[in-house]
Amino acid sequence: MQMYPEQIVKALINESFHSRRLVVGMFVLVNVVMLTAGWLWPKSFTGSTSIVVDEKSIMEPLMKGAAVATEMADRNRNAREVILGRRIMGQVLERAGWLADHPTTLEQEGLFENIKARTTVTPVGRDVIKIEYRDSDKERALFVTKTFADLFIKEMIAQKESETRSAFDFIDKQAQEYQQKLAATEEEIRQLRSSNLDARPGSDIELSARLIALNTRIENTTTELREAQMKGASLERQVNGEAEVTVLATREGQFRARIAELQAKLDTLRLSFHDTHPDVVQVKNQIQDLMAEASAQRERREKAKPSQRSEQDETVVNNPVYQQLRRELSQNQLTIDALKARIAEAKRLLQEEVNRGKGLHSGDARLVELTRDHQINREIYQDLLYRRERARVSMNMDSDRQGSNFKILEPARSRPSPNAPRFWQFVLGGVVLGVFVPFGLLFARLRFDPHVRLANAISERHKVPVAAIVPHLWSPGELAGLRKELVMLALVVTVTLALSATLSVVRLLGVL
Amino acid sequence: MSKIEKALKRAGEERGNLQLVPAAAAGGRTAPWTAIVGQQIQVPETISRMAENERKLLSADELWERGIIHPQHTGDPAVQVFRELRTKINQQSQEQNAVILVAAVSEGNGGSFVARNLAAAFALDSAKTALLVDCNLRNPSVHQLLPKATLPGLADYFENPEMDVSRIIHPVGIARFRAISTGGLREIPGEYFVSMKMRRLIESLRERYRERFIVLDGPPMSDIADTRILSELSDYVLVVARHGRTTNAQIESGLNAISSRKLLGIVFNDEPRIPWIR
Repeated sequence: MQMYPEQIVKALINESFHSRRLVVGMFVLVNVVMLTAGWLWPKSFTGSTSIVVDEKSIMEPLMKGAAVATEMADRNRNAREVILGRRIMGQVLERAGWLADHPTTLEQEGLFENIKARTTVTPVGRDVIKIEYRDSDKERALFVTKTFADLFIKEMIAQKESETRSAFDFIDKQAQEYQQKLAATEEEIRQLRSSNLDARPGSDIELSARLIALNTRIENTTTELREAQMKGASLERQVNGEAEVTVLATREGQFRARIAELQAKLDTLRLSFHDTHPDVVQVKNQIQDLMAEASAQRERREKAKPSQRSEQDETVVNNPVYQQLRRELSQNQLTIDALKARIAEAKRLLQEEVNRGKGLHSGDARLVELTRDHQINREIYQDLLYRRERARVSMNMDSDRQGSNFKILEPARSRPSPNAPRFWQFVLGGVVLGVFVPFGLLFARLRFDPHVRLANAISERHKVPVAAIVPHLWSPGELAGLRKELVMLALVVTVTLALSATLSVVRLLGVL
Repeated sequence: MSKIEKALKRAGEERGNLQLVPAAAAGGRTAPWTAIVGQQIQVPETISRMAENERKLLSADELWERGIIHPQHTGDPAVQVFRELRTKINQQSQEQNAVILVAAVSEGNGGSFVARNLAAAFALDSAKTALLVDCNLRNPSVHQLLPKATLPGLADYFENPEMDVSRIIHPVGIARFRAISTGGLREIPGEYFVSMKMRRLIESLRERYRERFIVLDGPPMSDIADTRILSELSDYVLVVARHGRTTNAQIESGLNAISSRKLLGIVFNDEPRIPWIR
């Protein structure tokens, strides 16, 4: 059915008049329900506190470089985990008295979840953590918030302390380890040195110098030797070329020389004379004699040779060159022998040096390694010592709370929860709903009630004219009754509103 | 307590009041209709003669109290509505008298109220008279208007073949307004309506006075048989549906019971309206 707004309004006014008691009753009921709900609505208080994580404490510039302030920035992020963790939560449960009636583990879990749901931990900016906790009890809200903050700070400080302590312990341990290592290296170096005296810095250079000297010496000597040998060979050759004795000096030789002279004379005579010339014959005879003599001499010498008996040949003369050469050869042989001995000695020395150098090199490599290790270890150890002292100072700083960078920025306070519905909201809602609910119901009834409530609905539906719309005929008595009734209803509405207002004021003043 | 009992009680009380209240106290006011109780009204059936008998009419306030319109209450929208309705019927019947059945869709829809006031509206016209006939056998109400509930009515008429019609027509304290109750306090079977006697009665009532409009206070239309018979006896039918009491289905079935030719329309009764807001 098409209804125009003015029709709806008119119909609603008429309907509300018709069902005035219902309307007023609903109004009162809704108001009472809302008032009751508002009254009984669990009060909600929010305890809140802010903790500032002050990274830039006064200690920092003072201790710059000497101590490391524990990084706090990341803690903001896991503050919630810490606060709502089992450790703090358990203590809160205990301190706030939730454990007084010994809840079971399951109930405790429920309490945990409950408290978790009512707690918010919000990082405000970089350094501030805000803790909020809602509760129906004002004091408890305050107490729990305060406890959260205290325990959180305590926990964080303890954590920080333990962290610096563990850092110190670690560095200390490391320092000790390096100290031991250092000691061990030093001991090893000492042993190496004592077992290998040569093994000292620079001995390899000395060794190589010596080796070079030896090698040079061997080379020089070898050259000398070679020269001597060449000289020897040459002398040998010369000696072989020289006769031990001069041939001319022998009898045979003298005979031969005479023969040769006579032959020459003969040859010369033959040029001028015939063979029959006396001179020639004489000469010839002489030659024959001489030749016989020479062969006799030769035979004699041949006979004397196997008996190794030097045929005292009165004409044998020792060769002086030969003698000289022999002497030189012998001298040269001595030189060669000496040189050979020198070379052998030098080679022996060289071998010795080489052997020594081998040992020296292996020891030296180890020594270098050890020295290097020692060097590094010492550096690290010194660094560790330095760090350990820094850590110690940090630890002392933390234990003295000097580095304590937690401060309660805003002390815990409790106030009514900002988001919880207020009593006056209930009251206002009651009044508004008290008007709208009955009218809404009336409208719904108008639309959906199968009973006819509008005259034009009949004509529209049944296609039958509406002959008359008869309003209620109010008799004087009825009118009087109506007046009274309306006054009563107005009174009821007034009383309801007055009650709402009174309760609102009472609640606002906090009397109840 | 039934309506009859209530009416009886009220009648008794009022009678008592009358006895107690001195005449001077009543002042210039018109004597209450109860004052005529006991007088056997042998009403001459003409308007002029009716007028003679109507010295003791009910005051406007008394009528108002009883839920009947009065010309004095011109400001009351109800008066206006019934006058308009009367005019409508007049136009429809072309100034001829007519038999109008007023039937409620269901019980409690105020069919009797509308019938009574429609009759009263006719009676407002000095050139017309109205006769209200109580045809609601199960839940009669017209007798409440009568000075005495036990005055003879339809039942007496049907049971007593010799009885003259005039004996069952009673004044009610309103000018030009007469009424026939169901008679007595006994049940009368619906079969009477089917009888020729009923038909004859209606005919004679209609024929006797041309200016008389006969309003039949019919039974609820849920009583389909009676509604149908009565609608056949009447010229026009008004269906009464009350605000918030009648469903469309009831209206639908009620409308099916009557001939659409005779249907004048639906009277939407008891529309809520704040009385001081015109």
